[in-house]
Amino acid sequence: MYIYIQGTGCVSPQETAAGNALPAAVLPWEGPRLKAWEPDYKQWIDVKLIRRMSRVIKMGVAAAKLSLQEAGVEKPDAIITGTAYGCLDDTGVFLSKMINQQEEMLTPTAFIQSTHNTVAGQIALMLGCHGYNNTFVHKAFSFESALLDSMMILREGRLRSILTGAMDELTNHSFNILSRFDIYKKGPVTHEQLLKSDTHGTVAGEGAACFVLGTERGPNTKARLSGLTTLYKPGGKAEISADIDAFMAAHNCSQSEVSLFINGRNGDASGDEWYEHVENTIMAGKPVATFKHLCGEYPTAASFGMWMGCRILAEQQVPVAAMFKGEVPEKLEKILIYNQYKQTHHSLILLSVC
Amino acid sequence: MEKLMAALKAQIVEQLNLQEVKPEEIGDDQPLFKDGLGLDSIDALEIIVLLQQHYGIRIANPEQGPEIFHSVRTIAEFITAHQTAK
Repeated sequence: MYIYIQGTGCVSPQETAAGNALPAAVLPWEGPRLKAWEPDYKQWIDVKLIRRMSRVIKMGVAAAKLSLQEAGVEKPDAIITGTAYGCLDDTGVFLSKMINQQEEMLTPTAFIQSTHNTVAGQIALMLGCHGYNNTFVHKAFSFESALLDSMMILREGRLRSILTGAMDELTNHSFNILSRFDIYKKGPVTHEQLLKSDTHGTVAGEGAACFVLGTERGPNTKARLSGLTTLYKPGGKAEISADIDAFMAAHNCSQSEVSLFINGRNGDASGDEWYEHVENTIMAGKPVATFKHLCGEYPTAASFGMWMGCRILAEQQVPVAAMFKGEVPEKLEKILIYNQYKQTHHSLILLSVC
Repeated sequence: MEKLMAALKAQIVEQLNLQEVKPEEIGDDQPLFKDGLGLDSIDALEIIVLLQQHYGIRIANPEQGPEIFHSVRTIAEFITAHQTAK
């Protein structure tokens, strides 16, 4: 049974929510933090609901609405999301009030909106969707877990369309805390410099990407989701090459069939060595596109990579802003997406043209 | 009473994050829920907290809620009555 991507939607530090397409040029940024470019949410969300929503909820709902619109689906059979950090902003508001007010007179809104499954719940409420609703909070495998669950459910054959996606926000608090872990660059860096960087650290990002998955190919179908796998703490670079080899073999895809290799290079020298190794071995000679200079690094960034891969296959062109090296072939048939987070959480996604 | 109602309107707009509403646009006798200002049950909880925080008032009988929270004027009257009783 094939699984098709019927619609996509994305809110990211690029203008992806405007026109639901990958812009040809990068929206310039400077510094160690990328903030989402936010559209006017009132086009999708009632003003009475917006007032209670924090940024990540609005981003998630907007991405969901965009993907549903594109797929021509009013109400999916299930909603499955992935998030590593959940609704951080409202969690901060609630915890701050709890401390400042000595656990008394706490308002309900911040608490209700602070749980990790708020986005999936909010989408379900807005759509009147009473089907399966689940949220995966599996660190940097949150998106992949949501995707895997969606694929397994669709393969059972009981549901026809599933809205799946991932969203994570960056707040001032989370950025400051994450900065202490020494994962971001210390000096100034621009979108043009990031991928050429040979120093430690990357840039922080955020965003939401949603997909409508189904088992039937329709007029709006964007791509086929051919395969997905996750690899936790692979033993070394040779092992990742072997894993990619096995993954492709399991999905009847040879190296020569891959038209484009998309990877999660993020400017962190030691992390990028993994991508370099794959580019120089199993994907040698393949054109390479990247996406972290567009969305920044965050645990569910692979969802942005998959969104970009879908758009590339649907439009049959790779934006100049995304190309890293090589020549793009005339016809794009299969795209392999390889992403890793902090060198521990590795994932592979294989997309095919429809 | 007028001063109290003006203060209440500003507090309601702020506490409920009514982005599209200015305090002076809320009528003194305008129903706050359903077809009026369109508030819902979560907002009712927020207003209960607001009364506790700003006026030190706890609503002892929840059945009084619909009557007290009907409009800004009824809330103001409830606050005044409570403060007078003290």
